[in-house]
Amino acid sequence: MRWLAHLGLGILARFGRAGESVTTHAGGIALLVARTAKALATGQVSMRAVLSQTYAVGVQSLPLVTVTATLSGIVTSQQGGYQFTGSVPLYILGSVVTSSVILELAPVLTAIVLIGRVGARITAELGTMQVSEQIDALYALGRDPIPVLAAPRIVAGILAMPVLVGFANGVGFLAGMIAARLTVGLGTEAFLYGARMFWHNWDMFYSLMKAVVFGFTVPVIAVHMGLLTRGGAEGVGRSTTASVVFMIIAVLVMDALFPPLLLN
Amino acid sequence: MIEYRDVHKAFDLPVLSGVDLEVHDGETLAIVGPSGTGKSVLLKTTIGLIVPDRGDVIVDGQSVYGSGPGTLAEVRRKVGYVFQNAALFDSMTVYENLRQGLPDALQKSLGGQEMLRRVCASLEAVNLNPGHVINKFPAELSGGMRKRVGLARTIVGEPRIILYDEPVTGLDPVNSAAVERLIRRIRERMGVTSLVVTHDIEGALGYCDRIALLDRGKLAFVGTPAEFRQSHTPMVMAFADRTAAANFSVQMLDDESHGGPSESWQNGAETTRGA
Repeated sequence: MRWLAHLGLGILARFGRAGESVTTHAGGIALLVARTAKALATGQVSMRAVLSQTYAVGVQSLPLVTVTATLSGIVTSQQGGYQFTGSVPLYILGSVVTSSVILELAPVLTAIVLIGRVGARITAELGTMQVSEQIDALYALGRDPIPVLAAPRIVAGILAMPVLVGFANGVGFLAGMIAARLTVGLGTEAFLYGARMFWHNWDMFYSLMKAVVFGFTVPVIAVHMGLLTRGGAEGVGRSTTASVVFMIIAVLVMDALFPPLLLN
Repeated sequence: MIEYRDVHKAFDLPVLSGVDLEVHDGETLAIVGPSGTGKSVLLKTTIGLIVPDRGDVIVDGQSVYGSGPGTLAEVRRKVGYVFQNAALFDSMTVYENLRQGLPDALQKSLGGQEMLRRVCASLEAVNLNPGHVINKFPAELSGGMRKRVGLARTIVGEPRIILYDEPVTGLDPVNSAAVERLIRRIRERMGVTSLVVTHDIEGALGYCDRIALLDRGKLAFVGTPAEFRQSHTPMVMAFADRTAAANFSVQMLDDESHGGPSESWQNGAETTRGA
């Protein structure tokens, strides 16, 4: 009986710790967002820093985004072609590829690229600054790290992500169209006909909405986790791993919330 | 003047347990003590990098923790902090690092040329040739040079008080002596109040006006270098003399291996606070 009570208490304690951790992170993130908004509203954020970060987040991510968007278009086209041949009119493939790429694959895969390329880098960078006392040095010099370090990265994510997703939409669509022609022999005209048949302008807006939300979420979590880093090189590794897991889960959960909120 | 009033801080275990200390205007006070006894923590409470659990720090009559939110910013403008590993910003050149030491409003009023002149003057004050280092990144500098750039970044803003966190740790004897000379020279030229946390007792006794020994979160001694050398407190004797230190460490290890640290040295610990 005693062991049962111990087990119950142990489980309760675990839930308690998890709840405390979630609340702490939620509070920390809310505070970070509020301080970033204040820094932006009071003009404390350097435009040069925002542009430099936007270049690092946006332009430097283009090669990887091109690869993932091309492959997602090709794979969707090939799998759709395999399933539709002989059962559904093949021009429907145009709609399937377009919708899959624009509604789901381009925003989510670009967010994953952003997490791996930018989010992990931000956490490691700020984490290293934290453990090497560079963040303390900013405070000591009378500077607030939020306008100097956090806000430019968050604004860069919000600005660059819709552009990257728009680009990925175009690349994925073109790659899917070319793959459909080469693998199942679906001509460009027929592909475009299928794409137009089920096209809604809202879909593009929906895709870009996802981009803005992911572009905000990824750097916010990355900055938050970076600034929480403690404990030397090992701490930087730990917080970078935790940050990547946290960002992936956050993006996938938000992705799951989008259809019920904006597609029905 | 800096006053520490009943400063307490605990992380998992107590680190500072009621520290009362006064650092007078223009004086150089060295804080020594075994590793992990809260020396750097005490230094960081001065400018709010670590917030004490209890007590207060008064800088030039302003309560750091008892006043409004603007006080901390005002205190940070008066106080410069030299970090143990310099804490230079990796992504910035030496010039950009030093520019961070100047408040934004001052940067705008100074203009580019005057700002460059000030940065160069600060580098020269720490015996660095601006032409050689100004466009370099911290990774391109040696450990000693990084420490001196960190010092230059602190003095460029012309603080009234400078806090040094282990300024010579990790340096060879020649560079250590150079940094100690700089601490003395900066104090003479700028008339600053200096608080130096260090393990280099011999060096500190050469440039400080008073020395404080912090152990297990409490001040075990505060006095002049002469009083420090003459003290009969075992812990002070251990710090003042290498042979005594060797004997004392053997005794400590023995005591620890027999069930706990010795408290014998604490008996009769002398304190001449604010002397």
